Amino acid sequence: MLFLKGESFGLLGMNRRNGDYLLPNNPRSQYPLVDDKLQTKRKLEEFGFPTAVTYLEITHPFEISRLKLLRRYREFVIKPARGSAGRGILVIGDREGRRVQKTNGQWLRHDELEYHVTNILAGLYSLGGTDDACFVEYRVHSHPVFKNISYEGVPDVRVVIYRGIPVMAMLRLPTKQSDGKANLHQGAMGTGIRLDTGTTVNAVHRNSIVTKHPDTGVSVAGVQVPFWEQILETASAVYPIFGMGYIGVDFVIDVLLGPVILEVNARPGLNIQLANQKGLRHRLDAVDFAGEKVEEWLPAERFAFAKELARL
Amino acid sequence: MKNWRVYLLAFIFILTGLVIFFFKMSKWDKDFRPGQGGALWDVVIQMNYKGRGEASRIRLTLPSTNERQIIYHEDFDNDLDFSTHNHQRTNNRIGYWNSDLLDKSGSVRYSFSVQVRSQQFEIPQEARISTHPENDYPDDIQFWLRSTKHIQSDNPSIYKHLKKIIRKKDKKAAVVTEKIFKYIRGEIKYQSEKGSKDATQTLDALTADCGGQARLFVAFSRAAGIPSRLVGGILLDEGVKTVTHVWAENYIGGTWIPFDVVNNHFAFLPANYLEMYRGDYALIRHMRLESFEYFFVIEHGKIPPADPFFTLYSLPLPFQNSVKVLLLIPIGVLVVTIFRVLIGVPTFGTFAPIILALAFREISLGTGLACLSLMIGIGCVLRIFLDWLKVLVVPRISLIITTVVIMTVGIMVFGNLIGQGQLLYISLFPMIIITWTIERFSVVQTEDGTVAALKIAAGTTLVAMTAYFLMDHPALRFYLFTYPELLLGVMGLLLLLGRYTGLRLSELWRFRELRKIKG
Repeated sequence: MLFLKGESFGLLGMNRRNGDYLLPNNPRSQYPLVDDKLQTKRKLEEFGFPTAVTYLEITHPFEISRLKLLRRYREFVIKPARGSAGRGILVIGDREGRRVQKTNGQWLRHDELEYHVTNILAGLYSLGGTDDACFVEYRVHSHPVFKNISYEGVPDVRVVIYRGIPVMAMLRLPTKQSDGKANLHQGAMGTGIRLDTGTTVNAVHRNSIVTKHPDTGVSVAGVQVPFWEQILETASAVYPIFGMGYIGVDFVIDVLLGPVILEVNARPGLNIQLANQKGLRHRLDAVDFAGEKVEEWLPAERFAFAKELARL
Repeated sequence: MKNWRVYLLAFIFILTGLVIFFFKMSKWDKDFRPGQGGALWDVVIQMNYKGRGEASRIRLTLPSTNERQIIYHEDFDNDLDFSTHNHQRTNNRIGYWNSDLLDKSGSVRYSFSVQVRSQQFEIPQEARISTHPENDYPDDIQFWLRSTKHIQSDNPSIYKHLKKIIRKKDKKAAVVTEKIFKYIRGEIKYQSEKGSKDATQTLDALTADCGGQARLFVAFSRAAGIPSRLVGGILLDEGVKTVTHVWAENYIGGTWIPFDVVNNHFAFLPANYLEMYRGDYALIRHMRLESFEYFFVIEHGKIPPADPFFTLYSLPLPFQNSVKVLLLIPIGVLVVTIFRVLIGVPTFGTFAPIILALAFREISLGTGLACLSLMIGIGCVLRIFLDWLKVLVVPRISLIITTVVIMTVGIMVFGNLIGQGQLLYISLFPMIIITWTIERFSVVQTEDGTVAALKIAAGTTLVAMTAYFLMDHPALRFYLFTYPELLLGVMGLLLLLGRYTGLRLSELWRFRELRKIKG
């Protein structure tokens, strides 16, 4: 059958991801924890995981005037707490009096900033269009290793974690097309990462396989992701916090702070398979085959198992 | 895997649906035996009118199911307000088409199918004529003994003739009826004429059409003390006709027994007699119209009626159309599910395409799509403008809704002005859905680019059009309404789709690079 053709190399499709991995492994009650980035951050901080510092939380329209407090900051990022697919994120890289500059060079007046926050609070960018909260956080400065293979924005490392075990990872590189965002469907580039060594392998851009960054023209294969061991260790340890069996955890690597968890995604996309040129299903099956009580393993055991998975 | 439970449930659903479906089909085959005088007919009553700018009304007596005929698949299709009403005494079912202000010409179509068989009636031979009808018959039967304007049963000349026809000792209703029948057959000649004669005119002229002869028969019967009434209907023949037919029936020994003097059917009705109404009425009447004409289109039917106990045809006629629309929704969602789960087509909102498809059914596909594109186009321009003004979200969406309403009313006025009546149906467009589509379109456009937004718009249109073509299919409408158990089959299919975890068709394209390497 035509539709089954992909099954032979373990390609995971949207239907199977939803029906066999998300529905059985991610309890509905846990979703708010990851859908709301503010809750995610609080939880991560509680357990001592590295996150970007929150400068300001705005949950009600009357608090919008508190945006003035940001005048001391030259750089910051405004995010909707429940935004999806990178929508509504505003990265500010410079300030001149009351004006601030987006990282793409566009200047914004203070009232434009307030309008953006109003839109966020009214739920324009949130999942399902419900009222939302907004927060302002530390702007991560990307590790210099990525300088030549990304365009503006901050590259991030997405690790898919199944039943506590990291099963696949990729490096997401912003491009001109993605407007500095690291979301693949918005035009960012995805590069597979070998779980054992942390070096990049293949790359995908707009669903086709490429070798060079479309804007800088630099080859993206064979790059060593800095702090890889630390990233994989952290990824192996997050399971107990969220209690969700199938998640994607996004790390950014700050030049000063090292790996920082930016957000957790309860519906991680499938493009990671293209970036790695590998289907997910063999690795997911390997985790299921490893035992009934994978969830109770120690982080170190998970870490070791994840490295083993690189061979699949 | 727990899949077997889903498969079992789906299997049970589909099987139950099919069993009921085939049971109903087979049962009809048994009831319907063409060799035994049963026949199926499809009848359309077409009424064309021209208003003269006043409140107008068209009144048509609708046929009812009785022991000889089964009426089914009733349908009406018109621009006027339709209602039905059961006449208390005659139990005739009367359909009214009303309009407060009718200044254009138009037409009303009422169609139905009928299964009708011939029947020989047994006359209770021992039943005697009542000497005290006020004691022996209930009120609603006594009514059929009274003299009326056109059936003058208390007229002296009727009495005079009746004395010649029957003897004093004739007390049995069967004997008296037969004598009256034979007398009229022998004395009155048939002559087709414009406007029927009443009973005494017929007696004077000795010529009459079916109406005059039946009235005379009824007048004699009533004068003799037998409850009697006119029955009106259509003689079913393939073709187009405007002629109706009238015969009589007498109440003998507790049952109504038909007599057609003109065609010499004594206590018998052939299989082409469609009964429409009882009593001395007109089949169709109209009020305050400039002009009016009607005709019947009669064809041999093919599809037998359903068992009347299980069908939706027992619902009041004006509600049947809305039920038909309701039953289409599951077909629409099945289309959406197939497109999402098997093919993977992105749309604005999961079920918005269905609501749009339902709206297209009223306004036609081309016009619907044109109006929709226009409204979304203007809406997006407005949204960009409002964005620039920095208007808050909820007021902004409210402004867009208001604009959508204004555009709708504008299109209605414009359509009326240029005489495109169908544009008036745009009022059925789902305003809120359109507003959200505008909102989503412009969000996707700003965030992911125009190409992405247009792709999703194309997906939405594709799904809406597919759903439209399926839902607009008359056979599907008919089958769902006649066999609503087919929805169980739809549920079974949806359950199966709910556990389809294979790849979507679009994913084969999306991951084509992977296939090149591995496949």
